[in-house]
Formats: sequence, C-alpha cells, structure tokens
Amino acid sequence: VTDFEPLIKALARRDEVSAAERRLIENLPKRIKSFRKGEELVQEHSRPAESCLVMHGFAAREVYLRDGKRQITAVHIPGDFVDLHAFLLKQMDHSVVALSECQAAFVPHQDLLRVVDEAPHLGRLLWLSTVIDGAIQRAWIACIGRRSSTAHFGHLICELYLRLNAVGLAEKSTFQFPVTQEELADILGLSLVHVNRTLRELRSAGLITWKGSTIEILDFDGLATLSDFDPSYLNLVSEPR
Amino acid sequence: MPRYFIDSFDGDTCFIDNEGMDFADDAAARYHALDALPDMARDEVPDGDRRRFVVSVRDQAGEVIYSASLTLEGGWRSAPNGLARSGPQSPPG
Repeated sequence: VTDFEPLIKALARRDEVSAAERRLIENLPKRIKSFRKGEELVQEHSRPAESCLVMHGFAAREVYLRDGKRQITAVHIPGDFVDLHAFLLKQMDHSVVALSECQAAFVPHQDLLRVVDEAPHLGRLLWLSTVIDGAIQRAWIACIGRRSSTAHFGHLICELYLRLNAVGLAEKSTFQFPVTQEELADILGLSLVHVNRTLRELRSAGLITWKGSTIEILDFDGLATLSDFDPSYLNLVSEPR
Repeated sequence: MPRYFIDSFDGDTCFIDNEGMDFADDAAARYHALDALPDMARDEVPDGDRRRFVVSVRDQAGEVIYSASLTLEGGWRSAPNGLARSGPQSPPG
C-alpha cells in the first residue's frame, strides 16, 4: 500500500483513474510528518507552499471564538487533501488540527501545478474533491441549522461511515472514530450533556453502539431514515468527470 | 477531576446519567447542566403550550448538588383567528 492509496481510492470511487494518472500521484514528491492529537497541521493566516494530505488518522478544521468556544467545521479522513485550498487561497483563513494521532503528506504546490498541467483530468478530480468538501459543508450547515439533535448526530455517523468505507477504512458497518465527547460536541455544535443524551437515544433505539472509539451501526437504513440522510452529496458514483 | 452525573428530563424522556463526566469543579458541572437546557428545548419546542425541562447534577456520593428547570407556558390571550396557523398547536382552551 502506497502513501497515496487512500487518495487514489477516494478518486477512483468517483471516476476511473488511469494507470498514468495513478503513477503521477504516486510519484509526487512529499514530506511525511506525524502529529499528536491536538497539534496543528496547518496554521491560520499561514501561507503554505505545500498542500497537506491526511494519510492516517483524523484531522479537523476548527474555528475558535473570542470566548474560547470552538466549532469544528469539518472532519477529514485519510485520502482527504485538507488544504488544497491553500494552493489557490494562498493565505489560510482557518487552522487544521490533528483530531487523533495523525500522519500527513505535504506536497509542494509547484508539483501539484505540474501534475495538473500534465493531466487535466486528474486536475478535475482534485477539483472534484474540493467541490465534495463544499457539498459536505452544505450538509453540515443544514444539520446545524435545521435538524434535530438525533437526526444531526445520526447524519454525521452515516456520513463518516460511507466516507471511510470509500477509502477502505470501514467495513461491516463498523469504524473507528477516536474523539472525546467534548470534540463531538464541538463537531455537532451541541452542549456536552445534550450530546450524551442524544447518543443514549441512538443507542437505546438499537441503531448504533459506541464502545471506546469503535462505532457500529446496527441498522443503517433505520439510522438513515431517522436522520433524513441522502448520500448523493458524497458523490460516491463512478462517472466521467 | 471529580466525576459528576447530570440527569435530565425533557417532558417526555428521563435520562439518568449512569456514566458521569469529569469536570473541574461544581461550577463547571453547573455550567454544563445549564448549557444543555436550550438544546433540549430546541429539540422539542414548539410542541404544545406547556413543557418543563429539568437538569440536575449529582456528585460522586450520589447527592443532588444542583438542579435547574426551564419552563414553557403558552396560552391564547384572545380567541385565535383561523385554524391553519403554522406548526402544530393546541386548540384554544
């Protein structure tokens, strides 16, 4: 398994990735770095010359308020290019932190530019990944703004399962999600105690189990129905892009 | 950090916290208990004219050290015009 395997898997779920494109990705120069939980992968206001791909573990985008409250605005999994943004944004408007022990590959922008010039289709696939990030943000906004806490929580679990499954990290309705309840509260934008209540509701409805960092979905269809979850936004369909 | 148990009741479902959570002190436990009330209300209101949301904090010894409630009390002040107001509502009493 190469370092870029999760990325290639994520792209290949959405369109065919040719052998030549695969080679281009696998030969990208990279600097690999490990992070402890809570460490910053990318700093707010920095001007990175590289983009960062999550290889192992989970990363999060976070926004801190002046009073110390935090909203986690995105959760990133292996295969996610977390700051492809910086490639075009130049200056980061938020930070990316390790949500668990995490390993990331940093790829120089000049090499990404070269690859995108050589293989425009690969460029479109990387573009697609940021477009899907946008779709996920829309789904999260709808959850935070309008869904009940149980539906929001269930929606997150359905989404994480399908995203992890797409890169080969979740099978048989089970996956690892090593977050604390505080972090979960900051992801869902809910109070700690209410997150507890909501988790308990999903458990006692027989929809999920959550032991340590292992989540098992006991009834995906039931959870999806409760959460009004429609996976279309994840674009898990292979078609010409 | 001491362990606290925060029980809650949203008018329908009573949640007894068997697992507990660690907080720095009593004040932090109170903060988190109060923080839950608006979330509980947001999930249930509007749904009728009366509802009471309750949270209480137990310490490690099992003693209730703090409790709080949030009460909804609604009622028509004059006969409502039309029946098709938005959302589920109780008929005029």
